[in-house]
Amino acid sequence: MNWAIWAERLRVPICAALLLGAWQLVYALGVVPEKYFPSIPTIATAFWAMLNDGTVLSAWAVTFGRATVGLIGAALLGVALAIISDLSPVLSRGIRYISDVLQPIPPAAFVPMAVFMLGLGTKLYAFVIILVTIWPPYLNGVAALAGVGSVQLNTGRMFGLTNWQLLWQVKLPAALPEIFTGIRYAATISLIAVIVAEMLAGRDGIGFMIFKKAFALRTPEVFGLMFLVGLNGVLLNGLVNLLRQGLTGWHIKMMERPE
Amino acid sequence: MKRETRIALLGLLVPLGIVILWQIAALLQKTPLFPGPGKVVVAIWDNYPVILHQLGITLRRASAGFAVAVVTMIPLGIFLGRVRVVGKVLEPLMDMLATLPPPAIIPLVMLFAGTGDWAKIVIIAYAAAVPLLMNSYEASHSINPMLSRVAKSLHLSRLETMRLIDWPSSLPMIATGARLAIASSLLVSVTSEMLLSTNGIGTYLQRSQENFRIDAGLAGIAFISLAGVLVNAGVFRLEKKWLFWHYRDQRPAE
Repeated sequence: MNWAIWAERLRVPICAALLLGAWQLVYALGVVPEKYFPSIPTIATAFWAMLNDGTVLSAWAVTFGRATVGLIGAALLGVALAIISDLSPVLSRGIRYISDVLQPIPPAAFVPMAVFMLGLGTKLYAFVIILVTIWPPYLNGVAALAGVGSVQLNTGRMFGLTNWQLLWQVKLPAALPEIFTGIRYAATISLIAVIVAEMLAGRDGIGFMIFKKAFALRTPEVFGLMFLVGLNGVLLNGLVNLLRQGLTGWHIKMMERPE
Repeated sequence: MKRETRIALLGLLVPLGIVILWQIAALLQKTPLFPGPGKVVVAIWDNYPVILHQLGITLRRASAGFAVAVVTMIPLGIFLGRVRVVGKVLEPLMDMLATLPPPAIIPLVMLFAGTGDWAKIVIIAYAAAVPLLMNSYEASHSINPMLSRVAKSLHLSRLETMRLIDWPSSLPMIATGARLAIASSLLVSVTSEMLLSTNGIGTYLQRSQENFRIDAGLAGIAFISLAGVLVNAGVFRLEKKWLFWHYRDQRPAE
């Protein structure tokens, strides 16, 4: 059974080796034409060349910046909507109607209609990202605020907290861990929305770059950029996790403590 | 019950207010590029046969991609969850796939499969695969050890254990994955049609923009939203019906 433990400990290198090995095997067997399936070294060289001429880094900065700023805006707005919903059942129902209708619409669908009104700049991206990213923090926020235990609430009331203090000092901190689950999900959506919007708007960013390279049949570059997109997800998730640990460290500690 | 209906009706005022504001803004702008809700309703009336036809194509594609993902990913997820060593070792690979957004693979699939039906079905299947794989893996991986012990003491065979214990107890979580997968296959089917235009509602949206018919485009979006709401409601119904035992057991615990 010893090897199983070792396999588990070394799983990241094993996965990497498996992936790279399978890739090179497909390449070596020549099942797929090389034009569409370049070898790992070719991809690495192409990626390195793009890194060196600076185009990738500036495109990446644009894309990642948009996704991050959009996520922050959407998270704050989502929590604000959740708080409003917590205060008034009528407004809560009203916002729920809107979220039910808007949620099934893909981010891509908004782009062509919004381009004429908002141009190709910041406004377009802010609109598209917020419109699709706001819902997970909002929905989790509503559920979490409604689910705060009555013991906690009554304790707060016993200390003579006003409704406003109760919201800020008891309900919101208690709801924060669940809100962060929503924000983590929103981070993924925000990245997708940015990439899609860039593909459709066709001016700058990683999304546009992938499409341009694909149409030019520069397959090694396309694979390299896709790797970068995956890395973006890991990076943004890491940022959200850092923030979560900073804000809800008490909760994480509590969950880890053996009962 | 009476209070409930009053809240539901008063709540309708919020979207209604937004629609009125939108209409006012549109009247002030006076440009066909910013149509108000009135124009959109007219566009819905004028274009609904075309939109419904295109939407049908999209929905057929979305269900084909989803079906491919269900048939391949649920067994794979259960396999990885049951054979622990393989599952544990491959976990980082699954996490990596989860970070790669479906639209990012569109250009790649285009290189292999062109812009036809199959390319889109592959992209949709990929989008649906991630939640299905993750949830069926997680579900079969975290089955209550007590249940496995019960199976052992009843001397159930491996196959019987799978059918009578593993399958039902992982079903609720797989259902959650399926719900997410259905939502994302709908989203991605429209996106893939917008980028690889041939037909379907996504292509319809692109054409509307190219012809400066923003009102027709918004009418198309309204139908996408309607389809999404109906599908979600249907899935919710089915889940309640098929997993009634799960929801029934959940209630007393609350």
